[in-house]
Amino acid sequence: MKNKDERIGGRMSRVDAQLKVTGAAKYFAEFEVPNLVYGVLVPSTITKGTIKSLDTKKAESAPGVLAVLSYLNAPKTPAYQTDEPSKTSSGRGPGMKAFHDNKVYFNGQPIAMVVANTFERATYAASLVTAQYEKSSHQTELKSNLDKGITPKSKSLQDYQRGKKDAYQTAPVKIEAEYIQPTEVHNPMELHGILAQWEGPDKITVYAKTQGVKMTQQVIADTFKIPKENVSVHSQFVGGAFGMSLRVWPHEIATILAAQKVQRPVKLVITRDQMFTIAGYRPHTHQKVGIGANKDGKFVGISHWANVQNSNYEEFTEATVGMTRFLYRSPNVNTTYRVVPLDICTPIPMRGPGEATGAFALESAIDELSYALNMDPIDLRMKNYPEKDPEQDLPWSSNHVREAYQLGADKIGWSNRPKEPRSKKENGMWIGYGMATGTFGAHRREATARAQLKADGTLLIQSAASDIGPGTGTAMVQIAAEVMGMPADQIKFELGETAFPYAPIQGGSATVASVGSAVHEACMALRQQLVELSGNALKKAKVDTLVYEEGRVRSPTDRSASIAYTEILKRNNLPMLEVTKEAKPGEEGKKFAMYSFSVHFVKVHVHPTTGVVRVKHAVAVADAGTIVNHKTASSQMMGGAVGGIGMALQEEAVIDHRYGRYINNDLANYHVPVNADIPDIDVLFVDKKDPYINPMGAKGLGEIAIIGMAPAIANAVYNATGKRIRELPITPDKLI
Amino acid sequence: MKAFQYVRANTAKSALEALAKDPSAQFIAGGTNLVDLMKRGVTAPDKLIDISRLPLNKIEKVANGVRIGAMSLNSQVADDKLILEKWPLLAQALNAGASAQLRNKATVGGNMLQRTRCGYFYDTEMPCNKRQPGTGCGAKEGYNRMHAIFGTSEHCIAVHPSDMCVALVALDAAVVVQGPKGERTIPFTEFHRLPGDRPEKDNTLGKDELIVAVTLPDSPYTQHAHYLKVRDRASYAFALVSVAAALELEGKTIKSARLAMGGVAHKPWRLQEVEKALVGKTVSEATFQQAAQQAMAGARAFEYNAFKLKLAPNTIVEALKMAAGLTA
Amino acid sequence: MKTSKKTIENEARRDFLKQSSVLSALVLSPEKAIKDPNWDEKIAAPFEKVPLKLEINGVKHTLNVEPRTTLLDLLREQLHLTGTKKGCDYGQCGACTVHSDGQRINSCLTLAVTEEGKKITTIEGLAKGDTLHPMQEAFVKHDGFQCGYCTPGQIMSAVACIREGHANSEDEIREYMSGNICRCGAYPNIVDAIMDVKKGGQTV
Repeated sequence: MKNKDERIGGRMSRVDAQLKVTGAAKYFAEFEVPNLVYGVLVPSTITKGTIKSLDTKKAESAPGVLAVLSYLNAPKTPAYQTDEPSKTSSGRGPGMKAFHDNKVYFNGQPIAMVVANTFERATYAASLVTAQYEKSSHQTELKSNLDKGITPKSKSLQDYQRGKKDAYQTAPVKIEAEYIQPTEVHNPMELHGILAQWEGPDKITVYAKTQGVKMTQQVIADTFKIPKENVSVHSQFVGGAFGMSLRVWPHEIATILAAQKVQRPVKLVITRDQMFTIAGYRPHTHQKVGIGANKDGKFVGISHWANVQNSNYEEFTEATVGMTRFLYRSPNVNTTYRVVPLDICTPIPMRGPGEATGAFALESAIDELSYALNMDPIDLRMKNYPEKDPEQDLPWSSNHVREAYQLGADKIGWSNRPKEPRSKKENGMWIGYGMATGTFGAHRREATARAQLKADGTLLIQSAASDIGPGTGTAMVQIAAEVMGMPADQIKFELGETAFPYAPIQGGSATVASVGSAVHEACMALRQQLVELSGNALKKAKVDTLVYEEGRVRSPTDRSASIAYTEILKRNNLPMLEVTKEAKPGEEGKKFAMYSFSVHFVKVHVHPTTGVVRVKHAVAVADAGTIVNHKTASSQMMGGAVGGIGMALQEEAVIDHRYGRYINNDLANYHVPVNADIPDIDVLFVDKKDPYINPMGAKGLGEIAIIGMAPAIANAVYNATGKRIRELPITPDKLI
Repeated sequence: MKAFQYVRANTAKSALEALAKDPSAQFIAGGTNLVDLMKRGVTAPDKLIDISRLPLNKIEKVANGVRIGAMSLNSQVADDKLILEKWPLLAQALNAGASAQLRNKATVGGNMLQRTRCGYFYDTEMPCNKRQPGTGCGAKEGYNRMHAIFGTSEHCIAVHPSDMCVALVALDAAVVVQGPKGERTIPFTEFHRLPGDRPEKDNTLGKDELIVAVTLPDSPYTQHAHYLKVRDRASYAFALVSVAAALELEGKTIKSARLAMGGVAHKPWRLQEVEKALVGKTVSEATFQQAAQQAMAGARAFEYNAFKLKLAPNTIVEALKMAAGLTA
Repeated sequence: MKTSKKTIENEARRDFLKQSSVLSALVLSPEKAIKDPNWDEKIAAPFEKVPLKLEINGVKHTLNVEPRTTLLDLLREQLHLTGTKKGCDYGQCGACTVHSDGQRINSCLTLAVTEEGKKITTIEGLAKGDTLHPMQEAFVKHDGFQCGYCTPGQIMSAVACIREGHANSEDEIREYMSGNICRCGAYPNIVDAIMDVKKGGQTV
């Protein structure tokens, strides 16, 4: 019997659930490797300058210490022997060269690594390393350096203009406001790090916390100038990442250097405070939005400016102003994006990168405009719905955002929303409703899957994909089960190994579209081969009319004309049938504008005198094409909404600019949501197949899960209190 | 973390003897704060004397009150039937602090002795007079959103982070300490101190002393008491401002009151003058507003914590209303 | 200079021995090592470990640990029980939650030596053979996790939450589970899982 939960659109439990609930799932730091030693980083204590001298003697003579690695004695990294910043592997390599010279670019930058035979000894010895510096004056504050913003090199973030510049200013009704997004830190629960073991002079194995084993492999191979196939990367389980593991960080290279130096495997697990300083963040961003409309609500123009925190040693950009160009029909749009180089670590995409920040500004401004127009904010958005993508002038591959508005409005009880802000109380609390839209490109990249149908009837599929939490393996098993007509427990999907065929990074919500397509194609090819090997009975029927069920292929008309896959293998004396298929996007991206959409609705309570905000109910609606697994997809949307609650109400990494040091870099002082912060969250899917994007019709989900949640909350807070908070997070002090 | 010697004491006497022999040693009970501080290099004792197994973990009804052993766990006190019945304010405050796991380890004595959570105190690269006297106060002109508005000095503006202590100070608790010369009792109001020019000294416990118990007198504050904690998230966060409010009512008239604040000073901030002024008044929003204004006398804010000048009185009013049952 | 420093250290160690015998009779290093005049820090260090008896998941362990080793690092790095996770190492996330004599605690803020004689249960000790604990089953059913890293801590905490009697309503569960951070945001599913087990009435 076919179990619908095991097929595309089902609610199958995760294939790796058992490993995760028993503690048997092994994350990078948990592999037992003989002779393992521990690396601990020594961070710089100044923000900018040079190291004059480094005293490592005490540390070197401390018990158990094998080496203290620094620019003074680290093995030379072949790719770093020029003065150019590291440009390995198309921006996924570490922008800063680990232990290369005595320059300090930001506070907390690793300047040495102590390697010792126990974690405790390495940690203590690291505290004994001292440095003398030549300090230079530093700049870490965005606000006072806005005038130093520069146009990035990135092609997609050049100044954009459609129609007239700043046309909003001429509109009968207009809003112009500034919105501030503080620095946010990914803070996945698993600490970052790496375990590195040289197997020979040009051969290495690493256990990594990465969003792409092939990416990590490429970077290491390029950095050490060794053949790619000599670099093995293992990363089956990743304890969350949210973007922070989309590149190889300098401390990973440092660990590999340390392993080379001591000729033993070295494990580095960075500390929670180092998660703030050396592993990226969502950049602090000052934005301005100008938006103008006619009295009937039709947009006249939108202008969007963003000034984005960046490091001083490489360029980072994200699509902060991107959605402003296409989410609404407006004849006049202009966007400006500037990066502000500061003496801090480089940012890295954090869930819903750029768009989440940009949506806070754009979707708040639209809400503000709706009050100025005295129009319902959903009606205002509906009124400006673009029938096609106004930026690329292309039809949507699919766009059901209007249906999403309706679904969400019904679920949250939008009709209960007070028309006037600060007009309705419930149990002594101001109540408010808010909503906002999110969007993110529906991407697809090249990926390859290998499928092996074995004589015992089981199917093994392998691809070097990642799973940072969404449930990649589960979705892949369902896709294979659907195509092959096999029960899920006969199918195994393996990922996270460089030995497997190529898969792209898990970033930008593209794994199901990319790897799923490869799995789909590999299984289709397998079916084709089975039919060819099946003998005459089935050959008469057209391949695409055959039915594949219960591990058998049969004629659509004659039930008795069927044959088990195992029988086909047996008759052909085959121990296994194997296919490897590469799947690539076609020309669809040139013909269609492809985006996922989300709409978030929230109801909040705000305490009138303490300013405490509680989200009482949240509804997340996704237009993400076919939903492969409703259970895991729902969790993913829920998780994004939780992240959005953190973004809206709690998260802010604060630097004391006098010292250039973070002042709240731990989980007690940088607040992420806890269980008590989270209400019931209803997740709804439009669940309509995108006809063009890939064989499953699935668009991405990971990013849109958070994009729009923060402005939905900010808009609800305004509805509840009449106070428009334009600087996140919305903490009690801002509302009293 | 530096290597250290570890000894386990079985009696209070042997613990004190061990301390006397080695004044640089520190006691460890639950360790939920000490181990954290040792990991970050804020403190680095050469020796730890484990006092967690001292027979001081009883919660006993005594004449006119209760005696809570210093080694009683925070969770044990919060779930104790006698405490829940007679001193619910204390249970409520305890449950507002930390997490269930931490409360299962943290002791009553340790909670009282926990250090400030000021970021400048925790970061050994930053100036902090409390951690390293003479280095200056990083918070005063730094990021001081969480900091004190009462009783600050030019040397320190840190706050005491405990919730439990706010309830204890309101409920007229006393601290029983044992030293080489025997036991003495310190009124809770005098246990913690203001920073003055010695911010490194959090309290009046002698260096050679050990907290053995906290006592609470019988109180009339079983019906009308509330601990209100305002924080940046719904749980597992330190207070921006917290208020322990307790009222003894006769009809609508206040017979007596107890009021204390957390998150506003270097010590749990008892408001005795306000309590006196409340006596004889009728419970009402106006009465509580007046009390809140009175409570704010002498408050002084810094760059990032000016909101507390408004949040604190608002929280007092709210807590009193909840204690009195006046909420909407 | 160097020799005199060593002498002082040796004395300090003997003093420590003496004291510990007064206190709770902690056994220390072999006499031979201590008397060795060439005893330097590198040799001494292994002997600075103290004996420790623990029962972990029903198995009795006789160990020697440095006093500064946390229960978390002992479990993960020495006993290879890596189901217990390190999320922050400062008692701020709950990923390291284990049961000590049945009570949930943060193993990262617990020095292993302070657990002498106690019974520790980790996630590896929760299932009975191949049969998952009802809470593990419920987490699978309700998808109470995504990346899975906080999950062992969540499950250990959830079991304790019911045992303590703090799982009587969704709100109570939310509050008493707030010491376990899940950055993937699985909280609503975690609450559902715990409610399910609580309502099911199975012994946890």
